[in-house]
Amino acid sequence: MTLDPSLRHLHAGLRPFRRRLWSRRVVRHGSLVLAILAVAELVLALFARVVPLEWHAITAATLVLVAAMALLLDGVRVRPTLAEAALALDREQALSDRLSTALEIAHRAPGLALGDTGDGGDPASARYRRDDGASLDHPASPGGGDRLVRLQRADALRALGNADPRALGPRFHRRPLSVAGLALVLLIPAVLLPNPQNDVLAQRQRTREEAQRQAARLDETARRLGEGRTAPDPRADVAEELRKLVRDLRDRPDDLASQLARLGSLEDALRARLDPGNEQRASAVTSLARSLSRVASGTDSNPSADPARTNQDLGQLAGRLDSLSREQKRELAEDLAKLETMARQAGPEVQKALQDAARSLGRGDADAAGDALGRLGEALERAQRDVGIQRDLGRAASDLQAARRDLAGGQRRDQGQGQGQGQGQGQGQGQGQGQGQGQGQGQGQGQGQGQGQGQGQGQGQGGGSLGGGGSNARFLGSGNSAGGFGGGSGANRQFGTGKLDTVYADFERLGKPGDPSYISGSGGGGQTQQGRGTGQGANNDALVPYTDVLPDFQDFAITSLDRSYVPLDVKDYVRDYFSSLDP
Amino acid sequence: MTEQAIGRRTDDTPSSRSAQGGTAAASAPSPRPLSPEAFADLAQAIEGEVKRVIVGQDELVRQTLICLIANGHALLEGVPGLGKTLLVRTISDVIDCSFNRIQFTPDLMPADILGTNILAEDEGGTRRFRFQPGPIFANLILADEINRATPKTQSALLEAMQEQQVSVARHRYPLEPPFFVLATQNPLEMEGTYPLPEAQLDRFLFKLWVPFPTEETLVTIIERTTGADQPRAGNVASAGEIVEMQRLARSVPIAAHVTAYAVSVLAATHPDGPRAPRLVKEYVRYGGSPRGAQALVLAGKINALLSGRFNVSVDDIRAVALPALRHRVIRNFEGEAEGITPDAIVRATLDAVVPATVD
Repeated sequence: MTLDPSLRHLHAGLRPFRRRLWSRRVVRHGSLVLAILAVAELVLALFARVVPLEWHAITAATLVLVAAMALLLDGVRVRPTLAEAALALDREQALSDRLSTALEIAHRAPGLALGDTGDGGDPASARYRRDDGASLDHPASPGGGDRLVRLQRADALRALGNADPRALGPRFHRRPLSVAGLALVLLIPAVLLPNPQNDVLAQRQRTREEAQRQAARLDETARRLGEGRTAPDPRADVAEELRKLVRDLRDRPDDLASQLARLGSLEDALRARLDPGNEQRASAVTSLARSLSRVASGTDSNPSADPARTNQDLGQLAGRLDSLSREQKRELAEDLAKLETMARQAGPEVQKALQDAARSLGRGDADAAGDALGRLGEALERAQRDVGIQRDLGRAASDLQAARRDLAGGQRRDQGQGQGQGQGQGQGQGQGQGQGQGQGQGQGQGQGQGQGQGQGQGQGQGGGSLGGGGSNARFLGSGNSAGGFGGGSGANRQFGTGKLDTVYADFERLGKPGDPSYISGSGGGGQTQQGRGTGQGANNDALVPYTDVLPDFQDFAITSLDRSYVPLDVKDYVRDYFSSLDP
Repeated sequence: MTEQAIGRRTDDTPSSRSAQGGTAAASAPSPRPLSPEAFADLAQAIEGEVKRVIVGQDELVRQTLICLIANGHALLEGVPGLGKTLLVRTISDVIDCSFNRIQFTPDLMPADILGTNILAEDEGGTRRFRFQPGPIFANLILADEINRATPKTQSALLEAMQEQQVSVARHRYPLEPPFFVLATQNPLEMEGTYPLPEAQLDRFLFKLWVPFPTEETLVTIIERTTGADQPRAGNVASAGEIVEMQRLARSVPIAAHVTAYAVSVLAATHPDGPRAPRLVKEYVRYGGSPRGAQALVLAGKINALLSGRFNVSVDDIRAVALPALRHRVIRNFEGEAEGITPDAIVRATLDAVVPATVD
């Protein structure tokens, strides 16, 4: 049994219209999708100009991809059936439901969809003709439903033949296309014009990179701090805390506020453990070790002020006590007594052992003195160890502070540098300007007009240096203030301080935007540049023997070191410097 | 019409009802099978003959013909003098069938229409009751000014119109097909009239509005009716052919979406229907009954055949919606007070129901 030829012709004739209807649907839905996509892209672009979007480009591309996928899937979904094509053609060509009825009846009564069933119907009458002038074959058999169905099918076929072959073509809907066009027109400037949020995004990227860098730095600090050390040693605990911090920093580099808070918290905790007088104590221990070695051995046998060597020297002295005369013991006691000030600074244990040793020697009690000298050497070594721990913790705190500073200042670094250049021309705000002020005031001191202290506003380290210089008018007077406003990097080195130049050469702890200790300088530095140091300070009567002022300088410098955030190597440098000047 | 022709008495039993049931066409004589093309030719001939007499009422003639072929009944409403009675008489002339006219008056009794048992004496001298058929026993009935009769008399038509039979004294008398009632009523003279009840109205397939002719049409009417030779319609069809036309019309295929459209239109005439327009929701008390949907589809089939097609389209449904639904929409008080016409309601319904389409 085969399909009724007229029905076959009907199907074949409808297929081109189905394709056209399909294309119409795809075009219509495509217009909608295009409009939605364009509007979505526009909204996204506008939103990205208000809020920094990390994934703007990817989101935009994803939208396009999703739209393409949606269109593709929709294209498959909206593929019309022949019945739909028939219905659409009926409506558009005003065919009075001929086609849809023919297909629907064939579907509803499959028996009527077959070929000639011998009821008198003539399938040949269902030829696909474009003209409807030919008359149908009218058999004399009763006109039942079957006959009417076949006639209707032939009628539908004729109507299909007369249908406009261009029917059901794609239609371009004005509204969605207008919306899409308008959105695309607006999208062009929204995309092409500079987006201020790009700077924010770049800043975030720099922050992330900075976080990674700081994590690496802190990781190295933790490794250095915890290497070979176990539980009772506080450095082991700090190293573990640092490792946690590093992990968190690497996991959440974007959470700047939280990371800064954690860094600050740990730094505070470390600083709470630090002994403010550690450097003083270290200086005392060093001096005491050197002095004790000199007392014990009679020569400058311990120029490096190694407490172990001092302990060894003291042990040898203790072994020689019995052979010393009473007078020698008394002199030895006196020499030790002179060192009591340093011993006090080195720690109570050291002081107590020193006093015991001095007293015992004064009494001529060699045994007690030997025992006290032994305790003194051990106490000195312990003091040196404590100093080392304090230094390590201080170094860790400094690293934390540096990491925090770099992390906080990373996103403003570029801006600060730009301002620094502007300040070199005598204007602007910020770091460069602050340094410039410090410099200018230094020159003022050189002319005897300065106040001596408090220069370098907001830059503790710079202030300290300049403060010291302020009291040494001659020294300052020999400086050259030329280029004081020229740039931030050279601002602190303009005094010609020799070693101090190298001390501060690498020191970039001066205030930067974002630094907690930073206070931006105020304007007016340009005027101070006019007051160049001309050397009039050479006539200043402030010249005194350095031995008279060295302790003050030393105290002031050490106090400044303890109070300020100075790298440990710099502290060591300063401390050694003063130690070498020790008469 | 002879007494033998109309006096086939049947017992009122279930078996006899079953035998008599179904359409009138089922029991009608079939002179010759009718092809769809012959149907069109015959309908065209009938229409042409009627139009020779009835001038300027083409749509009315077409809708009356649809009613006739659908084996339904028509209610004609129009002012006096528009040719309502002439139309029915002309149809009876065109079709070779019996015709009776019943002038409805307030004192008209049901027996005056249906007939009654009378005591008669046969040849043997035995007195027996014999059924004397009323004027209802004819193929074409003109119920003139039907709203002047009392509801009791009006309701006497119910069974005849729906079942095409008459029950008198426990006996049923089938009416010979085709059975076509054309009732008229005058919308102006409402004094002393009895509006047809809804059940009675629902029995009419169409309610046709007879419009006042245009001036050009009036000229033609005057010329034809005042001259020496008045046109007369010729007999072009027999009752059997009408029955065959009725049978063929029911075979016209209709797609499911067209049927669904007809049902949706009917459902939209109900104020609580999901697609009911605002006019229906506000001014309609009751919508059309299922007979309304039947009328839409059946009349649509005939409209398609008369248009030379072999399928029913949505346009066919829309074409017959007004006459098929206007008397089935019952307005509420606000609707009547506001002067909202049933035609406006049906049109609003047609506007509200969008046919199935694909785009």
